[in-house]
Amino acid sequence: MKVSYFETGRYNAPPDLPREWPVPSSAYDPETGTAALRGMAERVRFVEKLGFDWVSLSEHHYSPRILTPSPVVSAAWLAARVDTIKIALLAPIVPISNSIRVAEEMAMLDALAPGRIIFGMLRGTTNEYLSYDLNPKEARPRTDEGMELILKAWTEPQPFGWQGRHFQYRTVSIWPRPRQPLPPTYVLGTSAEGGAFAARHHLGLGLSYGPFDAMGRASAYYRQQCARYGWAPGPDDIIYRANMILGETDAAAEDALNRRDKQAPFPVRPGLRDALVEADTSRNIAGQRQRANVGGVLPISFCGGPDRVIEQIRRAREEMGVGVLDLSLSDPGTGSLDTTMSGLELFGRKVLPHIRDI
Amino acid sequence: MAQDQTAGAAFREGFVNASGCRIRYMEAGTGPTLIHLHGAGGLWLTPAHDLLSRHHRVIAFEMAGFGSSAETIRFETMPDLATVMAEAVANLGIDRFNLLGSSFGGKVALWLAVQHPERVLALVLEAPSAIRPVGSPPPSGSPEDMARRLFAHPERHDPPPVPEPDVLAMVGRLRGPERDTALEVRMRDLETPTLVLFGTLDHVIPPEMGRFYKELLPNCHLVFVYDAGHVISTERPEAFAEVTADFLERHEAFVISRTETVINP
Repeated sequence: MKVSYFETGRYNAPPDLPREWPVPSSAYDPETGTAALRGMAERVRFVEKLGFDWVSLSEHHYSPRILTPSPVVSAAWLAARVDTIKIALLAPIVPISNSIRVAEEMAMLDALAPGRIIFGMLRGTTNEYLSYDLNPKEARPRTDEGMELILKAWTEPQPFGWQGRHFQYRTVSIWPRPRQPLPPTYVLGTSAEGGAFAARHHLGLGLSYGPFDAMGRASAYYRQQCARYGWAPGPDDIIYRANMILGETDAAAEDALNRRDKQAPFPVRPGLRDALVEADTSRNIAGQRQRANVGGVLPISFCGGPDRVIEQIRRAREEMGVGVLDLSLSDPGTGSLDTTMSGLELFGRKVLPHIRDI
Repeated sequence: MAQDQTAGAAFREGFVNASGCRIRYMEAGTGPTLIHLHGAGGLWLTPAHDLLSRHHRVIAFEMAGFGSSAETIRFETMPDLATVMAEAVANLGIDRFNLLGSSFGGKVALWLAVQHPERVLALVLEAPSAIRPVGSPPPSGSPEDMARRLFAHPERHDPPPVPEPDVLAMVGRLRGPERDTALEVRMRDLETPTLVLFGTLDHVIPPEMGRFYKELLPNCHLVFVYDAGHVISTERPEAFAEVTADFLERHEAFVISRTETVINP
């Protein structure tokens, strides 16, 4: 089992911040922001020493909860400051991005940190579409076409044109170009479309937050599709991003779970949330219709003392086929940095050495 | 380029009595009712009225004290004027309605909404004058002077009609202080979905005033209309009508894009 630390640019938000997404930008404090973002390097060096394999980054907008609207910037900063850990951009949100720009930026990162960049592509959560004015009904087809175009821009040796449904380019020929064969690349999500796309292009699959049985259905679908295309994914091909509450004992962890805020830190207003859910109708897990999750609190997938958590990780491997765990040891946007660091330290000491052979 | 002389051609004139005033209005279209309260320059139909009347029953009032509605009493306070206008709407047999207020009319609309929140479905404020920087004079002078204040691109428009001196005096009296505490206290409790529009080149009321509406109104959206001056509905009528109609239809869900980007199916 490989382990990844999910770095969110931990902004230490004061409790009186408006608890609504989007959060007014006037509430942003530049010094806190600088500390949060520059502190990424220190935290990542810390987990690197603990033996973590990856640091992962994501794309989120308009709130201090995850302060990385441009994960490429985070990755470039980290690549220059941390030596060996792999940097996984589990981003960008493809339907709101310019695919050619994405292809170029990833290629730059691959050139700057050869062999250390891992890349994921996703459709993104529905509220993020408001950030760049995307029609939620177009998210699915724009993601599918955008991913196809990114891969083509990375791999096609000759200048080419793209006569798409949503995108049109008369000539594409990116410089720099990523190393060939491509760096490890993942499709992030549970949909049948994403699973089939990943299988067809021999890419990995990234799952997140859902319960093991539901995520197990998505990974089973993906493996089935891979078989259809004549290959079998290995453990490294399946990532599971999840929240973990790790305590010295089971009781300590359960106590922390009970104290956990049951509300998302910056929820979307109910009227808008409902409208978003209604507009975003193509979510599914392996083809089974799924309601969009807009601004809800994310579940805790692992909770306990070290032994119990190790057992839960074993189950994750069995039920989802997961070979890379991408972890948050405290909720993004809440809790103190000390809690995060001590949780990571405990994980490195008591859990990590015992899950390598899972 | 001259102003579109055909704007409002489909509108029909009507009159309604309220509190002893005979109030003139122009009406066109069918659909949900949209009441418009004009700015200090008086009623002035624009292409935006035509566009909005495609999906709304638009009733543009000439408020009591203005133009041919002027022969009756004069008002001492803005809440008085709002009360009379609410009565005028009721006397047309309209209970609940959408409300659009432009500049001076934006403040009247706000007063009307805080007086009758249950009647106003949604509120759109075009460059409202309810909050102004200290010492900002209203547009005045020659038609050309007025045009330079009102428009981002005065060369593209005919100069606006200059109001009569007694109307200007009434506006000066009614517009009130730059920050109207009595109104602002009540705005904090106004749950009505509200859209505030400012042109990025407004030379009458700085678009930076928009943020105060966001701070005060609990359900407010602020949108800047690029390259428009104070009279957004004249300078960028399509942009004005599109965002207004979308907001009236969907309220806060109007932030969810419905733009289709398919180039070829």
